[in-house]
Amino acid sequence: MNPSHDFLYRRRHERFAMTAFLVVLAALWAIPLIAAVARGFAFNGVQNFIDVLTQNIGGVSLLRTYLNSFVIAIIHALVVVSVSALAGYGFTFFEFRGKEALYHLVLIFMAVPLTSILIPLFFITREANLRDTLVGVALPEAAMTLPFGVLLVRNYAESLPRTLIEAALIDGASHRRVFLDIFVPLSRPALINLGALSIMWSLQDFLLPSLFLTDVTQTTAAQAVLRFKEVLGATPTGIGRYNASLVLLAVPALLVVLFGLRFITQGLTAGSVKE
Amino acid sequence: MPNPKSIIHRLRPREAALFFGPLALVFAVYYFFSTGFLLYASVQRISMALVNGRWVGLQNFKLLLGDPRFLTAFVNNIVFACVSVAAALTVGFFIAVTLSATYRAKTLLYMVFLLPALMPLSLVASVFRTMLETRFGAVNLFLNDVGLGWMAQSWLIDPTFAYGVVIILFVYIIGLPILYYTANLSTINTSLIESAVIDGAGTWRLFVEILFPIMKGTHRTIIVSTLLTSFRAFDIVFFSTGGGPSGATEITGTYVYNFSTTGTNVGYGSAAAVATLLVTLVLSGLHMRFARKDEQR
Repeated sequence: MNPSHDFLYRRRHERFAMTAFLVVLAALWAIPLIAAVARGFAFNGVQNFIDVLTQNIGGVSLLRTYLNSFVIAIIHALVVVSVSALAGYGFTFFEFRGKEALYHLVLIFMAVPLTSILIPLFFITREANLRDTLVGVALPEAAMTLPFGVLLVRNYAESLPRTLIEAALIDGASHRRVFLDIFVPLSRPALINLGALSIMWSLQDFLLPSLFLTDVTQTTAAQAVLRFKEVLGATPTGIGRYNASLVLLAVPALLVVLFGLRFITQGLTAGSVKE
Repeated sequence: MPNPKSIIHRLRPREAALFFGPLALVFAVYYFFSTGFLLYASVQRISMALVNGRWVGLQNFKLLLGDPRFLTAFVNNIVFACVSVAAALTVGFFIAVTLSATYRAKTLLYMVFLLPALMPLSLVASVFRTMLETRFGAVNLFLNDVGLGWMAQSWLIDPTFAYGVVIILFVYIIGLPILYYTANLSTINTSLIESAVIDGAGTWRLFVEILFPIMKGTHRTIIVSTLLTSFRAFDIVFFSTGGGPSGATEITGTYVYNFSTTGTNVGYGSAAAVATLLVTLVLSGLHMRFARKDEQR
């Protein structure tokens, strides 16, 4: 809506009441964030944060978890973006029988809850010898994100100038060339949005790392919560450091959200509009 | 001579392999194989080693539907989903509209509401849990400090309060609906609102009779995505109450997880997984059907 929207709350007391209500809600929403940070200083002040950053807790180094999380997130994003780009192009610029049915078959798996396919995922990862590898976590994550990725890329591809692609094809360019030289550069905005979302979603994932990564040196940031809680959460003096660790574990996701917010919001809304 | 357009858009085997091969491979391994595996295991009595399964027919499903804990988990799932949807359509809608009419600190306020939904839920739920801890939790310490010590509770041990805590968490991650509403609000034709104002519509009527009905499509997107999210909200429950006390706040995700990771009878876990999978696939199919109808209109 335009900023010219004084009409919504025209009367002064209405404006005041609504603003006050919004501020109260925002304060309520901020309480857990503030509480976690404040409790992080309990007993030892800043030392809590320094300890958590520099010492190994239950064999887990916090900085190492950042690295692991980002490696998984990058692999996940690369797989999702490249496979979605290929399939998104395929679903837009080829005509064949059963195309729409196939497309809907892909989309319907967007709804699959991860918890319900844990047993087969465990089996697949074990048989493929991918346990205790970061790729072994990134691949099933990618499978979970792909239906959304295909939707996002196809939605965007449908809005591209079709004649441009057709002209190149009629001039004799192969689909592979058109894809690499025309489609990918043109779709960059959508692919960047998808990449940012993929990184964010991977950083949120707790289940797959906790299932497949048993080696403490491979622990990811979202997974480390459990370990830190066992070691620190039980004693009163540990609570300060536990809260400090919760705050610090959120840092990678926080950075991605702060710097990529534009791409994340664009990607999410583009994915929802024409589902 | 055939139409050149149909030639250039024809899918030849080499191109099919290039463009659809990777997707097909991932789907074949992770979805089709998984679904087949679950269907197969759900009619067996079989351990995690996955050897020597014994055919038991639909026994696992009978046991599942007879387990009050699974039914509780399923009902809880629906309850939490309904609460999320209700919160999204009221509080979320209100926040989005009011935010878009605000000048000051817009981005800051927007971030405060959006951030919890974009953070790892395991962290968000853990923060709630440590805040509500009986002895050293921030909530009870605060109540003691302000002289309301008698109000302090064992928030996570009492079933009613634990239920309330999970519901609050589901409302707390309201960010995505706000994001969808905000995006849609920016596309609304303002002249409609202007003319309503000129006709003398008050704030309440603007909300209820104009803004709310205009966003019908967004409401539906939000309802379906929130419903589906609730089936995936494993982390919320696992890290706040762990499904307890004694299964009171369990959802299908935590129920299946428990049988998948600790259960000796993988067949039973698979049956629970198949049941959940069916429900979500049907929901998703319905949604796509509605969406297509809208497009045709």
